[in-house]
Amino acid sequence: MTDWKILASLRCPDIPADAVARIAPSLDALEQTFRPLAATLTPTDESAVTFSNLQERAE
Amino acid sequence: MNIEQTARRLRSREISAVELARESLKTIQAEQPRLNAFITVTEETALDQARRADDDLAKGIDRGPLQGIPYALKDLFDTAGIRTTGGTKIFTDRVPAADCTVYEKLQAAGAVLMGKTGLHELAYGITNNNPHFGAVRNPHDPSRIPGGSSGGSGAAVAAGMVAFALGSDTGGSIRIPAAYCGCTGHKPTYGIVSRYGCMALGNSLDHMGPLTDTPRDAALVMDAIAGYDSRDDSSIPTPAGDFWRDNFSLRGVRTGIPENFFTERLAPEVAAAFHAALDRAKSAGAELKPIRVPDPEALNVIGRVILMSEVSALMEPYAHRRDEFGPDVIALIDQGRLLPATDYVNAQRLRRRWQREWAKVWKDIDILLTPTAPIVAPKIGQATVSLGEHEEDARLATTRLVRSINVLGLPAVSIPLPVSGLPIGLQIIGPPFADNLVLSAAGCLA
Repeated sequence: MTDWKILASLRCPDIPADAVARIAPSLDALEQTFRPLAATLTPTDESAVTFSNLQERAE
Repeated sequence: MNIEQTARRLRSREISAVELARESLKTIQAEQPRLNAFITVTEETALDQARRADDDLAKGIDRGPLQGIPYALKDLFDTAGIRTTGGTKIFTDRVPAADCTVYEKLQAAGAVLMGKTGLHELAYGITNNNPHFGAVRNPHDPSRIPGGSSGGSGAAVAAGMVAFALGSDTGGSIRIPAAYCGCTGHKPTYGIVSRYGCMALGNSLDHMGPLTDTPRDAALVMDAIAGYDSRDDSSIPTPAGDFWRDNFSLRGVRTGIPENFFTERLAPEVAAAFHAALDRAKSAGAELKPIRVPDPEALNVIGRVILMSEVSALMEPYAHRRDEFGPDVIALIDQGRLLPATDYVNAQRLRRRWQREWAKVWKDIDILLTPTAPIVAPKIGQATVSLGEHEEDARLATTRLVRSINVLGLPAVSIPLPVSGLPIGLQIIGPPFADNLVLSAAGCLA
């Protein structure tokens, strides 16, 4: 489980501690449902967002 | 106000575009204190555009069915010289220098802009309880939310202020207000309506589309606004004027009825209305096929990770102006800022995997029917809803049946079901680029 308070203090110190405390339960819930999904990914799983040169060709 | 009928009245000279615009302004004036559907009413622009529509018609210049028709744009579509706020204090005084592509196209079609409609701040929420511009209210019960984030557009159409309105849909924001306000809302296939010049929320999830009286009207608007735009990197070439199938019938249409997820935890009145709709579909000749769909709950989680990451990346330059955001919006921006980049990338990888799984669904069915929302419009300020023994966050319940469709970029339309109480929506989903199928099927079920 991520310690959102520590993470916020390091990465986004502008987010007040009481705001972090309010959003932590939502982030915990999201993490608990998302991480098991992410754990099923294999190296062959490509991103839905991929770089392309098609736009350059169109222009 | 119906586009098809109004276009006929215009062409028979029963009414002029200027008279129509004045009627629309009168209705807006009467309803605005009750509903707060508009942030800006563009009276001068409307009358100018209406005069031009009349002049053109008099000269025999016919720009199509939208010519002279009053409409509104959600206040995140850029309009040169007309304030475009995104419903946020951060951009309260923002006046764009250029038009978005959709507005360019609607001007070319001769439609008449009546104003810019209210939205949830930044389109990041579904209540439209906007702390900066006031709450938009539901025309059927002003103590309730209109749904959002395109709530002003939904309210304006449902209350007859305009014939159609444009909205954006990142996690249900066109279909939800359509369902709660009782009108038609179409979220097109991702990439067929340009996002250029529209204030982004989640770049890979944002869809622009119409809210209208009928599915036929939505198809008419789509005919005008769809098409390739080299200025939008997600834009895909599509055939023009192909959003409606004349004399379409549901006979033989393989109509998926989800056995999982979409029919779980529904309010009793929603479940009853949905089952009545299935009976009507069957009577109309649809071939109903029970089907299990690849886990939409997981897609909702994937969608939330993508959305929060994309919004927070966009809003990072403004995040330090914390007090200028509504409390719900800054809380979501904070959450997105704390998610690791690996989560975003992995969410996009999971999205691609689910997209492949859903592609198999369309081998067995042509369309999928679901309720649009599991509940009717909550009261303004209502935080939770009771569904049987479950207590659910009203915002999550509202988006539960629609968010996954944004992650997949599929076309989906919400139409109102015939009910005596508060409006209830039926969602018709199809495979990518089957916009004309879902709209035509919606026409049979409306």
